[in-house]
Amino acid sequence: MTGITTHVLNITNGRPLAGLQVDLYDVATNPPTRMNTTRTNADGRTNAPMLAGKDARTGHFELRFHVGDHFKASDGLSDVVPVRFSIFDAKQHYHVPMLCAPWFFSTYRGS
Amino acid sequence: MPNQVVSRPARRQFALSGLALGAAALAPHGALAQAAKPAGPAQASGPIVLHGVSPRLTVHALDTFHGAAATGLRIDFSKLEGSQYKLLRSIVVNANGRSDDPLLIGETYQAGDYELLLHVDDYFAGKQARLPTPPFLTKLPVRIRVANTAERIHLPIQFGPWSYTYSRGS
Repeated sequence: MTGITTHVLNITNGRPLAGLQVDLYDVATNPPTRMNTTRTNADGRTNAPMLAGKDARTGHFELRFHVGDHFKASDGLSDVVPVRFSIFDAKQHYHVPMLCAPWFFSTYRGS
Repeated sequence: MPNQVVSRPARRQFALSGLALGAAALAPHGALAQAAKPAGPAQASGPIVLHGVSPRLTVHALDTFHGAAATGLRIDFSKLEGSQYKLLRSIVVNANGRSDDPLLIGETYQAGDYELLLHVDDYFAGKQARLPTPPFLTKLPVRIRVANTAERIHLPIQFGPWSYTYSRGS
């Protein structure tokens, strides 16, 4: 498998975070170009990859997680959380999860 | 920072001596003398207690790849104005993993959306870390909102070449 996928988990309740808006941008262009917008499903994943394997390529990308709309915490630390990363080998799969709470955000290259 | 309380609890001292012992145990024989010297940047200073200080925004950057303060990391600090982030200033993380002064304090601590752009690519390149080109993380944006200027925000950021975490600290 290639392309870009994500998985959003809510660490305040230990469950997948469903219904969260996630965007994918190409940030090599100025201004960045939106490539995809979708919402997470009941499993906290997106029904289709954020970037399909057939479209996989090297480049600079950004996932944006609209956590503020979801948590609606008046003192939330972040509204939209960008995760900017680069693909150096299009033959590899880029799984980029987001573990979050209104005051905590963690991401990594997964598998 | 005159109103900053700096303390060095015995508990932390004990933890530090444990770390030093661990480092000595891992070091090859030839390096033992070196390991006995004062610890590196991450352990160079006592804990900084911010409880009770005036409202401010402070940052603490830790390199989880090397297990040390991210000394030398450049951070561009910007504020959202309209639809653009406008650079307020660039800082270089000090030996303690922090900026020398709070990012915002007093009159400058205003509600709004801010960005810290961490130059993670340059930082790891400077450490001769073997990473792909381009690396997974290059210029890492951390965007936060200051909603209530009556409360201070401490922002610890832990990062490696393949992951990062940030949260509201204390």
